[in-house]
Amino acid sequence: MPLLEVRDLVVRFRTHEGTIHAVNGISFDLEPGERLGLVGESGCGKSVTNLAILRLLPKPAGRIEGGSVRFDGMDLVSLPESEMRDLRGKEIAMIFQDPMTSLNPVLTIEEQMVETIRAHRGVTMAEARTRALELLEMVGIPQPEKRLKAFPHQFSGGMRQRVMIAMALSLEPKLMIADEPTTALDVTIQAQVLELLQRLTSEAGTALILITHDLGVVAGMTSRINVMYAGFIVETAATEAVFERPSHPYTVGLLHSIPHVGGEDAELIPIEGVPPDQRHAPSGCPFAPRCAWRVEACWREMPSLAPVAGEPVGRVVTSGPETTHQAACHNPPTPEEAAGGQPLRPGFVPAPPPGSDPVAGTPGAPGMSAAAQREGGQ
Amino acid sequence: MSANIGGPAGGVAPMAGATGEAASRPLVEVDDLKVWFPITEGLIRERRVGDVRAVDGVTFQLARGETLGLVGESGCGKSTTGRAIIRLYKPTSGRIVFDGVDLASAEGKDLRAMRRKMQMIFQDPYASLNPRMTAGGIIAEPMDVHGIGTKAERRERIRELLATVGLNPDFADRYPHEFSGGQRQRIGVARALAVNPDLIVADEPISALDVSIQAQIINLLERLQGQFNLTYLFIAHDLSVVRHISDRIAVMYLGRIVELAPSRELNMEPLHPYAVALLSAVPVPNPKIEHRRRRIILKGDVPSPVNPPTGCHFHTRCWLRERLGNPERCAREIPVLRELATAHEVSCHFAEEVAGSREQLQATGRGEAPMGPTPVPGPIDPSLLVASPYVTKEPDQDPGLAELALPGELHPHGEPKLPDNP
Repeated sequence: MPLLEVRDLVVRFRTHEGTIHAVNGISFDLEPGERLGLVGESGCGKSVTNLAILRLLPKPAGRIEGGSVRFDGMDLVSLPESEMRDLRGKEIAMIFQDPMTSLNPVLTIEEQMVETIRAHRGVTMAEARTRALELLEMVGIPQPEKRLKAFPHQFSGGMRQRVMIAMALSLEPKLMIADEPTTALDVTIQAQVLELLQRLTSEAGTALILITHDLGVVAGMTSRINVMYAGFIVETAATEAVFERPSHPYTVGLLHSIPHVGGEDAELIPIEGVPPDQRHAPSGCPFAPRCAWRVEACWREMPSLAPVAGEPVGRVVTSGPETTHQAACHNPPTPEEAAGGQPLRPGFVPAPPPGSDPVAGTPGAPGMSAAAQREGGQ
Repeated sequence: MSANIGGPAGGVAPMAGATGEAASRPLVEVDDLKVWFPITEGLIRERRVGDVRAVDGVTFQLARGETLGLVGESGCGKSTTGRAIIRLYKPTSGRIVFDGVDLASAEGKDLRAMRRKMQMIFQDPYASLNPRMTAGGIIAEPMDVHGIGTKAERRERIRELLATVGLNPDFADRYPHEFSGGQRQRIGVARALAVNPDLIVADEPISALDVSIQAQIINLLERLQGQFNLTYLFIAHDLSVVRHISDRIAVMYLGRIVELAPSRELNMEPLHPYAVALLSAVPVPNPKIEHRRRRIILKGDVPSPVNPPTGCHFHTRCWLRERLGNPERCAREIPVLRELATAHEVSCHFAEEVAGSREQLQATGRGEAPMGPTPVPGPIDPSLLVASPYVTKEPDQDPGLAELALPGELHPHGEPKLPDNP
């Protein structure tokens, strides 16, 4: 049985400017000890998904409007708040991008660590302090005795994040959610933190959901990836499969937007346009306006996740190493097109939006050069 | 510290008055630039108690039309260097010769006249545009400052610039909040272009943007460079983007350049221990290479630039020094930039030890799997590069990896074929 089972999760925010359709019915599973990457750009719903799992959506605007979240046999959507509070930290830990905001600036590291340990474990002050010392040592903080007395601002960003990871894992949670844990850090410090995260989670067999926009980070840290766009999972597969046979035009676009190893001089192929305004209820595939592969159906109907060509027919595996490679696309790119970053079928023209002049093709701004259009300008 | 770092052109041109050589002379020559910020104490009588040595003796040249990438981690002085070059900061010492004029000592009218030739693109497109001004007003401001054109001419120029950067010219009357992040950055680029500069200092111009938008801005910058013969100083912490856009790359650590080399060479054969560590730390968007690489985990954090380590600034964290048995020389003697290969300069006493080392091979993705057989140093056999990375797992028939050759690979990276590990 999967450790975490998310089914048709819908999250919306009711704001003065209208309803934000943040997550639009996503489903995924997670095995115990598995490492899952959630990849996508800002606003794709990757963070909101995890706040919803932990029931930490900002109130009163954000709410779960549909679907279910089952964790270790419990239904997290309907769990009473008191039980949910017990679960957070102890069963599911979360670390955030900026560790400064997760630590209390007016308490010493010792006070915070001891408090956390005692809140979840019935131990004495002295025992908790010993444990805190062990933890600091474990994450490689020099002079832990002295450092316990320090305040968070006296720690560097990398040290703070290591303290957060140590605290999160000290309670031996079954699941760790890391939301852009290294985005605020320098690259050599990021390497320290990722190494620590990898070592500690694999030692303890903790399942990991790693939320990031950095395709390099997920490549090394995860075994499976969900690519998200505008509140939908558009592609899901084992990490290697996503990089080797990207099967959704958005994934293909992301991989061609970054320079790759050995091909630094190759021209980047950006994704045209900008992400959709999520104040409008999604109609059709949300990626259609930016997609070079779009066909007429894309404007009308959101395709559901389906096994990509070449996957065994029949049973669809949704977690673990044998995960079926699935993509939500009416007109998936062929492997050759994925490699080239653009449709290669002779005479193929992306379908114009419904109601527009069918011969006009892509609408471009007047006075804009063809080159500027290729760069995806307004 | 004043080693002459030449671009491909090389050689120090005479100062002002060398009109005939304008074409061959580097656009910018930075010589032993130091920017120190004073730390003061006391409320009434301020005492200077120390300095933040943000830039501590940097020397390089920028050839006309080239892109120099300046990389390093926060606090290494890369932004300060960029800002000092366009004289947003006054250098503590050293020279910045821009097109024959020493900017470091220029003041008043002379400085203002020079500023027209250099512009800056900032990191945060949300903070660098005045929310109370329209896009057109923002783009026109440099022209106002320098008194260029009549009102009608400026209006025409704004439309032209908006079209150039890929925005609809009718958007000139819109306010910044009506644009997305990528569009705002385009406005920032249009503003920089407004006065026809020679040099553009781009300080992390894409770090605040989403991945799919980053590529749009990079392609835009590359096209404009060709169109207007621009020279870029491209400052970033993201090595993968820098190596894509730059002709040469300078790596900085604690206020000094530790390595300067042509982009490709720096990536294939970094020779400074810090550059190797930096390269090894950059995650590669390719799971196969990632699993094969081993990172050099540097100990601790970057020391404070108020009281930097003696000798080589990197010696306190250096993996190479540790391996060599902590030679005294690193802590005592400041290494100068030495040219180890054509146009490839390194400031490390023991850079020769880095070439062909396991760390260098693993950082550049050429090493073998960490538990595999001993690595074979040396260049990659080009015949191996065409091996397709497409591999599918077929658990039912084959316990190993079945290779599936497909035409046209997604990542044409240099990936040496490995013997299957049992």
